[in-house]
Amino acid sequence: MIELMNVRKVFNAGKANEFSALNNVSLHIPGNRITVLKGPSGSGKTTLLSIVGCMSRPTAGRVKLIDREITSLPERFLTDIRRSTFGFIFQQPNLIKGISVLENVMLPAYPLGDQRKDLCSRANQGLEQLNIVKSGSKVEWLSGGEAQRVSIVRALINNPSIIIADEPTAHLDTKLSYRFMEIVEKFKSEGKTVIITSHDPLVYDSSIIDKVITMRDGKIEDTPA
Amino acid sequence: MQSWLEKQRYIVDFTMSSLLRRKVKNIGLLVLYTLIVFILASIIFFTYAIKREAAFILQGSPEIIVQNLIAGRHDLLPVSFLDQIKSIRGVANVESRLWGYFYDSLVGANYTLLTPPSQAGSLKSDGKKTFVGSGGSDIPTPTEEKNLYEYEGAPLEPGTLIIGNGVARMRSIGKGDYMPFMAADGEIMNLKIVNTLASESELVSSDLILMHESDFRKLFGISSTYVTDAIVTVSNPSEIETVANKIKKHIHTARPIIRDEILRTYSSIFNWRGGMMIVVFSAAVLAFVIFAWDKASGLSAEERQEIGILKAVGWETSDVIRMKFWEGAVVSLTSFFSGVILAYIHVFFTGSIVFEPALKGWSNLYPNFKLTPFVNAEQLTTLFFLTVIPYTVATIVPIWRAATIDPDTAMRHTGN
Repeated sequence: MIELMNVRKVFNAGKANEFSALNNVSLHIPGNRITVLKGPSGSGKTTLLSIVGCMSRPTAGRVKLIDREITSLPERFLTDIRRSTFGFIFQQPNLIKGISVLENVMLPAYPLGDQRKDLCSRANQGLEQLNIVKSGSKVEWLSGGEAQRVSIVRALINNPSIIIADEPTAHLDTKLSYRFMEIVEKFKSEGKTVIITSHDPLVYDSSIIDKVITMRDGKIEDTPA
Repeated sequence: MQSWLEKQRYIVDFTMSSLLRRKVKNIGLLVLYTLIVFILASIIFFTYAIKREAAFILQGSPEIIVQNLIAGRHDLLPVSFLDQIKSIRGVANVESRLWGYFYDSLVGANYTLLTPPSQAGSLKSDGKKTFVGSGGSDIPTPTEEKNLYEYEGAPLEPGTLIIGNGVARMRSIGKGDYMPFMAADGEIMNLKIVNTLASESELVSSDLILMHESDFRKLFGISSTYVTDAIVTVSNPSEIETVANKIKKHIHTARPIIRDEILRTYSSIFNWRGGMMIVVFSAAVLAFVIFAWDKASGLSAEERQEIGILKAVGWETSDVIRMKFWEGAVVSLTSFFSGVILAYIHVFFTGSIVFEPALKGWSNLYPNFKLTPFVNAEQLTTLFFLTVIPYTVATIVPIWRAATIDPDTAMRHTGN
């Protein structure tokens, strides 16, 4: 599904504060499975995730998505891929304040120009499934758990085949973390590929996880099956 | 096509909600921006319209005015000069004028006193009157001749006056009232007001008082062998300058002033005043430019994060730039049109109440008149390019910079 070959990512290249976040990382992420990237803070998990999700480019190495080389694609094509293939769930909900829950959820679909009626119905359906009833309220009035669920609905609005979640349980209590894992399990049952970064045992020790990749200092430590 | 239209609608909707999200900031900017456009547009409208108005009214002014200079200063003109001027080839008519200034200590204002030409004595011939346009100037040429001052009724009798509207307003007097003057010999002269001048010519007749020749001579102690100056009409309008040169050659102390020179003087007076106003307000304009540049060119952490989120969820760089472009365009266009419309109302409907003291008249007798609405498209376009374009560009540049970097980088710089 996703293949990384000798990927390097260097920040502030050539400057005094040059920092190598990823060092020759090669790995294979299978489709229709749940893969967890675990490791301490600063190990390169989020950087790896952003390269996989076409949100940033590697400094060196190659990235293949569904047997298609995407490393050197122009920004426009990467945006297309990002929009049609990936759904992002960030550590922070990253919702846009001042607009309604419904508008936040519909944002990824705006560039596609779908009919407003269809889009609204799709968004409302997603919100109902995750028990969000306040579709008209402003996002700043939501609780942390509700905001996280809204960001999940937003990630799913374009029906992506790959879900990327960066430290999704970092700001959730245990109960909400379990609820999140139930949602992830549902993704799996729908045939979606899920990639999660986490250093929360509740996530990487979960029975629903298919593969755990451990990272440290920008490198892969081991890849247990 | 349908989805493209729908997409544009979503972008416009999001732009509007984005503007409303920063309501206080954007309303503040809108008000300030509108105020600046209002000031600049008012000055432009006023200066242009008043120059046009002055040119229109001054078409009725004499083709040539001949003054007598002694030691480089304007002095009384001997009546004998009138015959000499009349004898010059090309001169159709010569009329003498009696005019001067009178300081009214009661209201602290200077009046212009004038004797209607027919009473100051004239040497007429059968030459016809000529009309000279203001060719070459940026002021449109009027299509009809207009008198410098107009009034209805019989010619002035000794002991009577006709006053301009500014004088009437300042002294709160009108037809039937008496106006006292102290003559050169110390005698008090009480002259009766029999009429007021037409308001159409108020720009140049606001401070004017018309009086009979005998009253004028008594008031200033001028003997009947002298007049203030002479007005000359020429047979061929293209010969005005030639005739003026001939007058100068015949009478060495004469100073002929042609109508175009008067028009140019008025034009430069109002240009200068408009320029002064712009200089005075340039500090405000500069302050606004700095504020607008700061607002437009800097991105807050929140805005940067928003761009990162939009890109991460699949918005193209061009969509983000378009959205921010519309944001800047809505603010600048709304301000521009509001400012221009308010300036139009201010100048052409309220008589420029804000700038009246600086731009109108030349004493404290401000003319009270409504300018004919006239807008110079060229100046308006210049104002558009000097206000709307820089602001919109200043809005886009930082967005373009932020939107062309990876969404990951844009989001990492938010501190989240």
